[in-house]
Amino acid sequence: MFLQHLLNGITIGGSYALIALGYTLVYGVLKLINFAHGEIYMIGANLGFILISLIPAMPPFLQGNLILLLLAVVLVAAVICSLYGYYLEKICYRPLRGAPKLTPLISALGASIFLQNFVMISMGAKDRIFPQTIGMQAITMGGVSFTLLQLVIIFSSIALMALIYWFINRTRLGIAIKATSADPYMASLVGINVDTVISVTFMAGSFLAACAGVMIGLYYGSINFTLGYLGGIKAFTAAVLGGIGNVPGAMIGGFLLGVIEALGAGYFSSEYKDVYAFFILIAVLVFRPAGLLGKGANERA
Amino acid sequence: MKKLLVLGLLCLVMVGCTKKGGQEAGVIRIGAAGQLTGPEAVFGADMLNGVTLAVDEWNAKGGVLGKKIELVPGDDQAEPRQAVAVANKFAAEGVAGVVGHFNSSCSIPASEIYHKAGIPQISHASTNPKLTDQGFDNVFRVCGRDDQQGKAAADFAVQKLKVKRVAVIHDKTTYGQGFAEEFKKNLGSGVEVLLFEGITKGDKDYSPVVTKIKSVNPDLIFFGGIYTEGGLLVKQYKAMGGTAPFIGGDGIMSEEMLKIGGPATEGTYATFGPDTKDIPSAKGFNENYRKKYGEPGVYSVYAYDAANILFQSIQAAGGTDGKKVLPVIRAIDYNGALGHIRFDARGDVKESPYVVWKVESGKFKQVK
Repeated sequence: MFLQHLLNGITIGGSYALIALGYTLVYGVLKLINFAHGEIYMIGANLGFILISLIPAMPPFLQGNLILLLLAVVLVAAVICSLYGYYLEKICYRPLRGAPKLTPLISALGASIFLQNFVMISMGAKDRIFPQTIGMQAITMGGVSFTLLQLVIIFSSIALMALIYWFINRTRLGIAIKATSADPYMASLVGINVDTVISVTFMAGSFLAACAGVMIGLYYGSINFTLGYLGGIKAFTAAVLGGIGNVPGAMIGGFLLGVIEALGAGYFSSEYKDVYAFFILIAVLVFRPAGLLGKGANERA
Repeated sequence: MKKLLVLGLLCLVMVGCTKKGGQEAGVIRIGAAGQLTGPEAVFGADMLNGVTLAVDEWNAKGGVLGKKIELVPGDDQAEPRQAVAVANKFAAEGVAGVVGHFNSSCSIPASEIYHKAGIPQISHASTNPKLTDQGFDNVFRVCGRDDQQGKAAADFAVQKLKVKRVAVIHDKTTYGQGFAEEFKKNLGSGVEVLLFEGITKGDKDYSPVVTKIKSVNPDLIFFGGIYTEGGLLVKQYKAMGGTAPFIGGDGIMSEEMLKIGGPATEGTYATFGPDTKDIPSAKGFNENYRKKYGEPGVYSVYAYDAANILFQSIQAAGGTDGKKVLPVIRAIDYNGALGHIRFDARGDVKESPYVVWKVESGKFKQVK
């Protein structure tokens, strides 16, 4: 039973981690909590729904290759969401660069309400049901039951995290992101285009959130326009738990949050499922205000 | 220019907000309250269509007391807070009566406001006993009560399914938890309740509770709640290799349940009123509804009858004054789509036959 709860927690934790990365990356470069990030995740899920609904209209030779199609769905949704992220920053945050800290925060909340209502009006207020695509049959091994889809989700989130880790630490753009988050002014002095870096950060974060959105949509099968609220808050918690601004911290925070929730709900009572996560958050903040992996502001990436 | 635009928009908003209170001459206004938006919007639309059908029929015949009926929809989004706002709005606008709300957690707080304003309220779907047990003289319902529904579900589980071990899950709402407690109470001593646990409404991930259910290995799983959570619960339970059947109530009796849960809902039981296809008096309603809105939702006919009772009573009372209308509703012997409806002293229907339905090849069918 413990292993089962662990597996449940890791599945949901992976998506928390992917969304949390978006919070942490943006916080790293802008010192801003992008509260509209949860909505990007929700839009990703909705785009996934639209694209998957289109599958039956595809030519038959494509339909045979379901895995490839699903991959394409995730990719297209993620690319569109990157554009959302790009324009979100351009419209809501860039004009406010240099304004008092509270101003972009209010702008973020405004953007969040706007996007939520935009989806409510365009997609309707009721739950949308994902068509059943792959792997909902249970596979049982050593007392632990899981579905193929669950494995795909766990491995995809790990792969995406590896990708973003490589991107930040091994590519020129990624190193520019690290430099900007260490000191934006100094970075601009050595020839880094800070505006580009910030745009890329938003796009990368949105890309990951959209992937999480489509995967969660496929996994649970029902989505709506309010999905971003709880998803966003949980992921934000995960980012703070790991130490906001810290990339590995967000990953660990996400998985940890998922596992704590699953174990808490499993061994105590599922009535208080959301309580465990926030209780741990408070405890961590009291004893380690910078989060589990957070150190000084200078070492944040 | 920008400021002008904002000013213009504000003016528009203000014009939209100002509406005259009280009954306009020549019009009788009726409120229809339910979850018109939000995840449960399907139940809301079923209700509104049923009421609209009744209103259109009466207006085609010349209205009530020679006045046209104007339908005022109120959206409570299945949230108690919104329900109170809707009720206050209805009271301020002076509607002659209200059909709704759907969720017991909405109907109960709203009923207090209707009671103070002396507005008749006929709920089409709120089954929690407390709604009519409050002793308000203005509150009625055309559906059954959860103590009856809980007993029906428990009797079926014990006598027909012969279960020995059950897990009971609810959504912590007035309806869901109340229904679950009634079910548990009526199981008797021969049945062991292995688990009695709440889940969070609006959540998507029920894997922890599903794992728990699976580990206690019940013969039957009871769910008190609405299809949005019920569908996911069944699906996630079956995806984890669970095999025990689910039983729920009127809250999961919707096409949406089957859509959300998919093939996993096969074999799921639900308690509800009898199939309207077998009620001869509902034939006309079903045909007219289908022509206008497609297949009726399970609660459409209840909303239709609730609206008709309201109109007929206002007609018989000779006015919209609550003091005159309420005694008429209480004494009514109404012959509607659902058959005979009479209210007892509390405002509950005198006959409320709950039957059990089962999902067979992707459809809810009455167990005979």
